[in-house]
Amino acid sequence: MSKGVVLVVDDEPPIRDILSFYLKRADYQVLVAENGLRGLEEMSKLQPDLIISDLRMPEMAGDDFCRQVKSDAATKDIYFMLVSALDGSMSKIGGLNIGADDMISKPFHAQEVMAKVDSAFRIIAMQKEIKRQNVILTEFQDRVNNEMELASRLQMGMLPVLPGVAPGIQYTHRYLPAEGIGGDIYAITPLPDGSTAMMIADVSGHGVTAALISSMVKTSFESQLRLSLDPLAWAVGMNQDLSRNTLAEQFATAFLAHLDPATGEMAYVVAGHPAPFKIPSGNPGAPGKPEQLSGMGFMLGIDAELSFTSQRTSFLVGDRLVLFTDGLEEVEREDRTYLGEEGLMTFCSDLPADAEQATMQLVNQVQTYNGPATFSDDVTLVVVDRVK
Amino acid sequence: MLNIQARQEGNAAIVTIQGKVNFEVTAQLRDVIRDTVAQQQPKLLVINLEGVSFIDSSGLGLLVAARNSVDKSSGKLHLCGLPAQVKKTFDQTNLTNYFSIFTTEQDALRGT
Repeated sequence: MSKGVVLVVDDEPPIRDILSFYLKRADYQVLVAENGLRGLEEMSKLQPDLIISDLRMPEMAGDDFCRQVKSDAATKDIYFMLVSALDGSMSKIGGLNIGADDMISKPFHAQEVMAKVDSAFRIIAMQKEIKRQNVILTEFQDRVNNEMELASRLQMGMLPVLPGVAPGIQYTHRYLPAEGIGGDIYAITPLPDGSTAMMIADVSGHGVTAALISSMVKTSFESQLRLSLDPLAWAVGMNQDLSRNTLAEQFATAFLAHLDPATGEMAYVVAGHPAPFKIPSGNPGAPGKPEQLSGMGFMLGIDAELSFTSQRTSFLVGDRLVLFTDGLEEVEREDRTYLGEEGLMTFCSDLPADAEQATMQLVNQVQTYNGPATFSDDVTLVVVDRVK
Repeated sequence: MLNIQARQEGNAAIVTIQGKVNFEVTAQLRDVIRDTVAQQQPKLLVINLEGVSFIDSSGLGLLVAARNSVDKSSGKLHLCGLPAQVKKTFDQTNLTNYFSIFTTEQDALRGT
């Protein structure tokens, strides 16, 4: 097998013969042509790896030939050596500027040309290997991207369908994962006794691992709902599930709540999660001041033995609850001022009555604050309006 | 920018962290803590958070994992120098009650 294909283009037969002789002896397959035009014809039959072309030739000179080869996407990677007498017709730099990969000055020693050819083929081999690996990488990347897109759609499918309705509430959300898929999750579930369960959680980390655990969190939450109506029991159960089934550094912050629409009473657990804001109904057209729910507690999944506490508050018709993950408040302005919960609460003091518009406004305000940077963490916002 | 330094003092290993502890830097921090625990097998690991401006949930996770790994080798983990912002994150997650937290590094080394 030949070491590669070399096209020799020169209008002087003796030079073509000498180069052909040495190249063939060194196991290269050789094509010959007497000028650029003939060279292009040869190339249409068999594409060479390397071209050694004289500069001065009738019909098509070496510089034109080189430009043609280098401007065609199909041939531009062919290694091009331009042979030129150093008589002022073409400087070495001039040759490289028109796209030649190397210059050989006339008169030349055949050994010098052969050394250059061998060196060129080492580069060609390297380029081929890089191209081959690039193809593999691109294919791999495409596959990963496709799978991520599928996973992302699947994750979006785990979220409640909007506009959301459950006993005593209407709600909407914005879900913005930082990397296509993320570790945020929320669920709002009507319970058989006419009450409503709510959960928002943020799994530590980002990406695929966090997304996998987030679906585990949701499953765990749903299985707890079948056992009890008490968010404290849910927290204990979910904490045990997560402690057993995740690695050391993986856990979730969560807010869990149970609303009894008949009494307007809401029991809840804050598990290492930013406590939601409640915006009391206030007077018509003038909503009350947002207040952050009290309570704090461990994140879920640190240690199966940890205990939690629950709180109670009223959630009455006309009130609004703003649930969010820390990605919405852990943002920095360009002057490095940190938004934080206080800043986010200020944004919440002036929200439109319509929940959809309110979520849009709030996310826009935070995005503007954070700008021009994009969110680096998963962001979830759920606006829950208490209705009859 | 995160700056991590580890040093030894008697039976104790001290890791000093400065900067923002978030998802991007946890790998780097994890390596330092793991190497420190593996090489020195300290009776006491002190992590000084005095220069930490921000810690997110992955950072907290790392500290929890550090405590667990020190626990396994019958050592102790003491945290010290929590700035207000970090203290708030610890309070919110109740981790103030999960870790032994001290005001100064000297206190943390003495364990009082």
